[in-house]
Amino acid sequence: MIRDRGAGPTALAADGAELAAVSPRLRHRLRLDGIVRWALLGAFAAVFFPLFDMIYWVSVRAVPKFTLATFTEYQVGNAGGLAAMIEGTFVLIGLATAFATSIGLIAGIYTAEYAPPAVARIGRLAGNVLAGIPAIVIGYFGYFLFALYTGWGYTTLGGALTLSVLMVPFVYRTADLAFSSVPASQREAALALGARRHQYLRRLAWPIALPTVLTGVFLAMAIGLGETAPLVYTAGWSNTPWTGLFSPTSFLTGAIWLFYEQPPTLGALLTLAFQAAFLLIVIVVALNLGLQWLADRYRRRLRGLGA
Amino acid sequence: MDRREPIPRPADGASTPTPVPALPNRRAANGEGRSRLRGWLASPVALLPLGLVALVAAVLLWESRLANLGPSFWGLNYFFDPSGGAPSVFGVSLFLVDSAIVAGPALALASGLSLAIAISTVVYLPPAPSRLLTLLTNLLAGIPSVVYGIWGYVVLAPYFGTTAQPTLRGFLGWLPGFGGPLSAGGVGSLLAIFILTIMVIPITAAVMRESLRNVPNDLVEAGLALGATPWEVVRRVRLRAARRGLWGAVFLGLGRAIGESVAVAMVIGASIQIPPNLYTPSTTLASFIFYQLDSAFFYPNLLTALTEFALVLLAVALVVNLLGQRASGADATVIVTGGGRG
Repeated sequence: MIRDRGAGPTALAADGAELAAVSPRLRHRLRLDGIVRWALLGAFAAVFFPLFDMIYWVSVRAVPKFTLATFTEYQVGNAGGLAAMIEGTFVLIGLATAFATSIGLIAGIYTAEYAPPAVARIGRLAGNVLAGIPAIVIGYFGYFLFALYTGWGYTTLGGALTLSVLMVPFVYRTADLAFSSVPASQREAALALGARRHQYLRRLAWPIALPTVLTGVFLAMAIGLGETAPLVYTAGWSNTPWTGLFSPTSFLTGAIWLFYEQPPTLGALLTLAFQAAFLLIVIVVALNLGLQWLADRYRRRLRGLGA
Repeated sequence: MDRREPIPRPADGASTPTPVPALPNRRAANGEGRSRLRGWLASPVALLPLGLVALVAAVLLWESRLANLGPSFWGLNYFFDPSGGAPSVFGVSLFLVDSAIVAGPALALASGLSLAIAISTVVYLPPAPSRLLTLLTNLLAGIPSVVYGIWGYVVLAPYFGTTAQPTLRGFLGWLPGFGGPLSAGGVGSLLAIFILTIMVIPITAAVMRESLRNVPNDLVEAGLALGATPWEVVRRVRLRAARRGLWGAVFLGLGRAIGESVAVAMVIGASIQIPPNLYTPSTTLASFIFYQLDSAFFYPNLLTALTEFALVLLAVALVVNLLGQRASGADATVIVTGGGRG
């Protein structure tokens, strides 16, 4: 793409003095351009100052109080650590990612490769719509379906299933995109050599699509990790060691939601909430960097294919 | 989208396969009949997401079947008496108005800032800083909403109570909505608007960036060739050509703003009223049905009413989301995810 910068009159602006002598109106226009350029940058300050402020305060509240016990002990009353929440988060995200990836990947491949165009269009639209449904609405849905109708009550499995509904569209849309954007030349070459569809998919399309599919999975994990509303009424809460799929579980975001209003007399709980927030930020940053790395790799790979 | 068109081939014979269109589905030239059959057999799988949307709507519809959809449901009154002594009134409009009071200003602020960010990254900044800032904006999207909530409640609220609110009233107190009593602890609509603004920006900025980037280079180059400055090209060419996409971004941001429950519930003060000014505690539809659900388990009528509220929220979100997708040219999910291209 063409960047507007450095072209047009601006390129001549190095000789600003001469130009200004030529036309006061041009001088005015160039000055306006300069002002706008810096004013727009101000928006970044307005956005990133809060981001850094948040990271700073969460770190200040959380980091000095980290001990080994934070990770190994279970919270009891106004003491203990985040062991139960960390366990629960891993189990929930692991299960939900497994569910969401299997459904999203299969639906994505079918949408990209097999479905008739009209059906594919509806599928994609529905995927985007599903991503736009508020998390709390999914929470109500999960509460009725997985806690009441099944008779399970609050369970880890119910929480993971509810969470996966929220994560599916991200895996689905990226998988669809990944398989749709395999270069046509590659596909034609495979089919011309007599490859069957599944051979083409497995041997040729899959390696090319994998990095994009993985970005989708990573993103879905980041989304799932940050959700609170769908879990509170499906996974319930438990600050004891995790005992199984059909028992309730706690999770990091839930710790923040439960403890954020605790009075100073229960300061340890507020600290736990901030520590949970810190851990979440660290994981999200790691996932984001992973995403970026995958995206770069993918770009290089596609370029190698001469797409 | 950076999806490339296939290069058109020279017509060198009837056997040349038709160029594969970029988006629609591909079919092998041979075995068309079998392929079509397989295509229809595959449809249910491709429609899994549609099935999930339908399932969500069906469950909520079924659970709210007992709600009395009388005129009072669309009214501005909400009254629930747990003892059952006085008849309860469940009016959803109160919450819709509250949602609008919080989401409206947040969306306006977020749209303006996002537009500035998008123009900067696409037009003015060199590639490297532009990529770094895009990465940071994506990071903003990834921060869990509860983290915004606890930061807002513990760190920002005291500051809003002592400084931000009085200052704003000092300058703008003569405007309706900006005068009147302050909220002592700092929690209230203003804080919710602030938090929500930051949470909406990543989405609007990402979609706006894509729309500005997708303006045909011919138009931009033509503008520059005529001697327009970069800003003039932005204002007269890019913004006009990308108008639909920009509106799409605003709608998608609105979807996020009205759907956010947890962060808003933590900082808005949870008070069921139409706030007399921007500082007062209030509530929103999404946050109300979130924090109210656990009180509803023992009151079937409250649970049914809340489910009906959830259904209204779902309907609003669907409409807003479809409008946004239509205007922005769909694929918002992919744009926001970065779609594997960072």
